[in-house]
Amino acid sequence: MGKVTVTLHGAFSEFAGGARSATVEATDIASALAGLVARYPSLAERLRDEHGRMREHVNIFANEEEMRYLDGERTALRDGDIVHIVPAVSGGEV
Amino acid sequence: MARGVAVLLGTKKGVYVFRSGTARERWRLEGPHFPGQTVYHVAFDPRDGQSLFAGINMAWGGPRVEISRDLGKTWKTGANPAFPKGDDRTFSRTWHIEAGHANQPDVLWCGVEPAALFKSTDRGQSWEPVRALNDHEDRKYWSPGGGGLGLHSIAVDAVDPKSVTIGISSAGVYETSDGGRSWSRANQGTGSPLPPQPEGDFGCVHHLVGHPTVAGARFQQNHTGAYFKDAGDKKWTNVTKGLPTDFGFASAIHPRDPKVAYLFPLEFPMRMSPAATGAAVWRTRDRGKSWTKLANGLPRGASYEVMREGMATDRLDPAGVYFGTTSGEIWGSADEGRTWALIAQHLPPILSVETATL
Repeated sequence: MGKVTVTLHGAFSEFAGGARSATVEATDIASALAGLVARYPSLAERLRDEHGRMREHVNIFANEEEMRYLDGERTALRDGDIVHIVPAVSGGEV
Repeated sequence: MARGVAVLLGTKKGVYVFRSGTARERWRLEGPHFPGQTVYHVAFDPRDGQSLFAGINMAWGGPRVEISRDLGKTWKTGANPAFPKGDDRTFSRTWHIEAGHANQPDVLWCGVEPAALFKSTDRGQSWEPVRALNDHEDRKYWSPGGGGLGLHSIAVDAVDPKSVTIGISSAGVYETSDGGRSWSRANQGTGSPLPPQPEGDFGCVHHLVGHPTVAGARFQQNHTGAYFKDAGDKKWTNVTKGLPTDFGFASAIHPRDPKVAYLFPLEFPMRMSPAATGAAVWRTRDRGKSWTKLANGLPRGASYEVMREGMATDRLDPAGVYFGTTSGEIWGSADEGRTWALIAQHLPPILSVETATL
């Protein structure tokens, strides 16, 4: 269990009352997100749907790697790692 | 004694609130709240005269319901309506929020996509699925319309709190008379733009409203025309004759007289004002026996699109009528539609119009 910094970018900071980061104890991305949501419950439904699935347009990075290219939420974290929660740069909706 | 009116707009880029005194001549803008966020509907709770509910449908962070207890000064995110564990559906959009009956001050109803109804008994803090409707045996026949598979209309009866009517696109109208424990189809009399379904009697309701004081009075703009239904009626009465088209989305009803209703006819498939008549609200004063074009003050030759939630009346006397366009104009009439004045223009596309008579 290491100390991990979770940073909230863009709209996700607003969903946490303006907080831009939180330090949590975690072993992997899943436990880091759980620690974040325990700190900011308002993020729970912003990150996942009612069945626990990660919402679309949410990108999560472990340090500089997007978790889809790692082990997803099981990606292991170490003391000092940084998890970034980034709204997808998406648009073009008509 | 009313002090004034607020016109509540849900737009593609936030909530806009316009306030005026009872003369409804000068309007003051508040907002936008939630700038940049798509708002399908903003509802007012006339029971406490203070609460607003905004159905926000965002890609980032998903759909959510925002609640204000001070007419929009401050907002707090409520819990999402949520399908039960193991359900094959996922809450994806809020279409409509409706205050419950006056005798049930803590009850709210919420229509969502995929088509389902949720009920709150704590003023929106939490929601429970209305399973008898959401898991109705007809569900396998419900199919998305052009805007998706949404439960977009909710009419709570003016007298009987156990009587609720809802509209789903595309499935039609369903009614309960036991507070939601059982639901039955209520499309008799309406046509269908689709071939007959295996079980028959489905419909394509575009927007349905209930009268705020008269029991059982309902009015709808359907894909196939305009229809009235009153207490005791088994079938809807087709009142399309006299209108320039049978198509449109928005509908509204007079706050006191259930024979008076308003539509904004559109031409299919463009979904714009008919070229032959131009942009106009059409009003009946005799429960659809005749219709009058109301365009005094509206720009001649204009072609507008008005969405299903895009028109509303207030509760003043004479009643105010309002409609908002996808080109970002909100128009109002302080004399029941006789004359129109532009309240604001250059807004984002307007998705919903509601009023709060304060």
